[in-house]
Amino acid sequence: MNALIGNPQEDFLVLDEVKTHFDMGTTLLTRESKGVVKAVDGVSLTINKGEILGLVGESGCGKSTLSRTIMQLLRPTSGHIWLKGRELSAISDADIRSERINFQMIFQDPYASLNPRMTVLDTLGEAVRTRHPELKGDALRGRVAELLRTVGMNPFQMKRYPHEFSGGQRQRVAIARALAPEPELIIADEPVSALDVSIQSQILNLLKRLTRELGLTMIFISHDLSVVRYISDRIAVMYLGKIIELGDAEAIVDHPLHIYTKALMSAIPEPDPNAERNRHRIVLEGDPPSPMSPPDGCKFWPRSPVEHSEELKTVEPPLVEMQPGHWVSNCPFCVGTDHQA
Amino acid sequence: MPLLDVDDLTTYFHTRDGVVRAVDGVSFNLERGETLGIVGESGSGKSVTCYSLMRLIPEPPGRIERGTAMFDGRDLLQMSPKELRKVRGDKISMIFQDPMTSLNPYLRISTQLIEALQMHRDIDSKAALNKAIEALEEVGIPGASKRVFSYPHEFSGGMRQRVMIAMALITEPDLLIADEPTTALDVTVQAQIMEIIKQRQNDLGTAVILVTHDLGVVAGSCDKVLVMYGGREMESGSADQIFYRPRHPYTRALQKTIPSLQEKGQELFTIPGLPPDVSKPIHGCAFHPRCPYPKIGSPEGERPQLEDIEPGHCWAACGFCDSSAPIETVLAKADDHVAEPVDGDA
Ligand SMILES: Nc1ncnc2c1ncn2[C@@H]1O[C@H](COP(=O)(O)OP(=O)(O)OP(=O)(O)O)[C@@H](O)[C@H]1O
Ligand SMILES: Nc1ncnc2c1ncn2[C@@H]1O[C@H](COP(=O)(O)OP(=O)(O)OP(=O)(O)O)[C@@H](O)[C@H]1O
Ligand SMILES: [Mg+2]
Ligand SMILES: [Mg+2]
Repeated sequence: MNALIGNPQEDFLVLDEVKTHFDMGTTLLTRESKGVVKAVDGVSLTINKGEILGLVGESGCGKSTLSRTIMQLLRPTSGHIWLKGRELSAISDADIRSERINFQMIFQDPYASLNPRMTVLDTLGEAVRTRHPELKGDALRGRVAELLRTVGMNPFQMKRYPHEFSGGQRQRVAIARALAPEPELIIADEPVSALDVSIQSQILNLLKRLTRELGLTMIFISHDLSVVRYISDRIAVMYLGKIIELGDAEAIVDHPLHIYTKALMSAIPEPDPNAERNRHRIVLEGDPPSPMSPPDGCKFWPRSPVEHSEELKTVEPPLVEMQPGHWVSNCPFCVGTDHQA
Repeated sequence: MPLLDVDDLTTYFHTRDGVVRAVDGVSFNLERGETLGIVGESGSGKSVTCYSLMRLIPEPPGRIERGTAMFDGRDLLQMSPKELRKVRGDKISMIFQDPMTSLNPYLRISTQLIEALQMHRDIDSKAALNKAIEALEEVGIPGASKRVFSYPHEFSGGMRQRVMIAMALITEPDLLIADEPTTALDVTVQAQIMEIIKQRQNDLGTAVILVTHDLGVVAGSCDKVLVMYGGREMESGSADQIFYRPRHPYTRALQKTIPSLQEKGQELFTIPGLPPDVSKPIHGCAFHPRCPYPKIGSPEGERPQLEDIEPGHCWAACGFCDSSAPIETVLAKADDHVAEPVDGDA
């Protein structure tokens, strides 16, 4: 149904071959390059309005960097990003600020992202006023109270400072702050990882309801695949800065095609001691290669239990649509074989 | 004698809004090589319990009001600052919920790991650096011998967390306190890290206190489980007892909230209501206002006493509700009653 790269003029969010590299500079004496971290290395994607796209992959695969690039907190090294027909990657730094109230990010680390010297009322009040500068006094306090209730917190806590809250409470303040300017796109980077299951479920229900009621579009990053499966319409699996599988949430979780996705799914811990004692994992060899020197060819060959041909160690397989809407990096050694641990 | 024996640990914060009873009389013990999981809602006092044992509570406003924590025969809560410095980071290490609180953003990872080692060991810098690289390799940082010279911000969130784990394990502690150590990690690294910790336990008999909200991790890694709510113990027992024979309404409700056990397309089950405001005294059972079970009697009575159900398994025996039926029956009934409008597809 979806082309990988949609129509920038019509589709909500379109990414075309986005790359974000970090240049590590040169050594002081010899002026040799210390290398380039290819954190995001050619991502193409189209996201529909009102959709929740789950983004998963191992630590360091580039999820946060991709989010920060979409947010234009980092500018892409190459490639294009369009939001509602506007090319974000071409907007000047000065203009991007006013644009940003339309897309908000919930950060992975609620400690670092809240100002320790501002009360919750100040933090949320400021965020509300980016959209409604006219709000003051009781009206502003009323709106902040409403936001706190929305995220399941008690409004009497609004005079408190971040350090006076538990980890989960702080994360809910961070979510409330992202909602405050009434954005159209929210990028949630591990928004519920710091929360216990009960509040996690409240937040997930909340985020899901908000996307439906307010027509919010969301990119949802989490390493908890049971959470991603629950909340997402589609899931994109990243490996070494690239998408290696993309499709409907059920298809990805229940019928993954790529061996990497299969291995991820088999690593999900189950809340059942007996099942845990008898679990069967596809064990991945070694660690993900350094994004400073990614392998040529199929990105996965150095870790795959299946020996790859010379061709696939040099020529990168393309993403192809194997089944309607289900895309996979088409390496014959990673896809389709019956992988057993 | 257990390695760690905590009795009646009570930590309050004296704030301008009143006394926050963050940890209110918690007891547990831990043998060498054992893993205790602490689970419970956000704000239930899990981190404050850990901080109290490490004596890292900011005082004021915090104060350890009562209790003992015998570690290897000595009370952690009575130790002098000098004794504490010896024990902390050497015999007892902690992995914090927030990786950036224990990593200095201005120092290279190498410097920080070497410092952690040299503080407690007589070891030269070269040997310490090698140990640091080894420690990073052990937690799965690719290219460790190069990346050891990086600064924390050059690492992804998950990698920073692994650096912290490396730092905590580098002195080979007897007790590792891990506050949400795998929260920022993806499943494969999480599985790796839990494997590293298990390996340590087998080789060196390290005891572990593991705070996590992931009941899957608890099921896979913990021998014992302590369920906390409102700063108090609701139930404790072996992992099997807690997972297969939960007794307290809160433990049962908590299990119902696990996303992987629920149908897609339906709202996830959540425990209705808000967590207790621990800055006000709690009468009776802390969970009472949110308890789905039929209430009996007034909730104003005495705090429920801990009672044994079977060897090693006890619960705060609450007499304010009738919790004899399985929770499924109770929730099914509640659904019939409330019959809230379910928002269908428009
Ligand atoms: N400012 C930076 N300078 C250099 N390298 C960086 C920088 N930010 C990120 N990286 C590197 O880019 C890669 C991708 O990092 P990123 O934070 O996007 O990963 P992630 O998928 O979000 O991981 P996690 O699940 O651990 O949060 C990592 O190898 C990381 O070390
Ligand atoms: N410095 C402080 N001043 C006042 N209250 C505090 C302070 N630190 C913690 N608290 C309160 O103590 C209670 C317990 O907090 P704690 O951090 O132990 O929760 P937790 O169980 O670790 O939660 P989470 O899962 O969200 O990390 C909370 O109500 C919190 O607001
Ligand atoms: Mg990240
Ligand atoms: Mg905590």
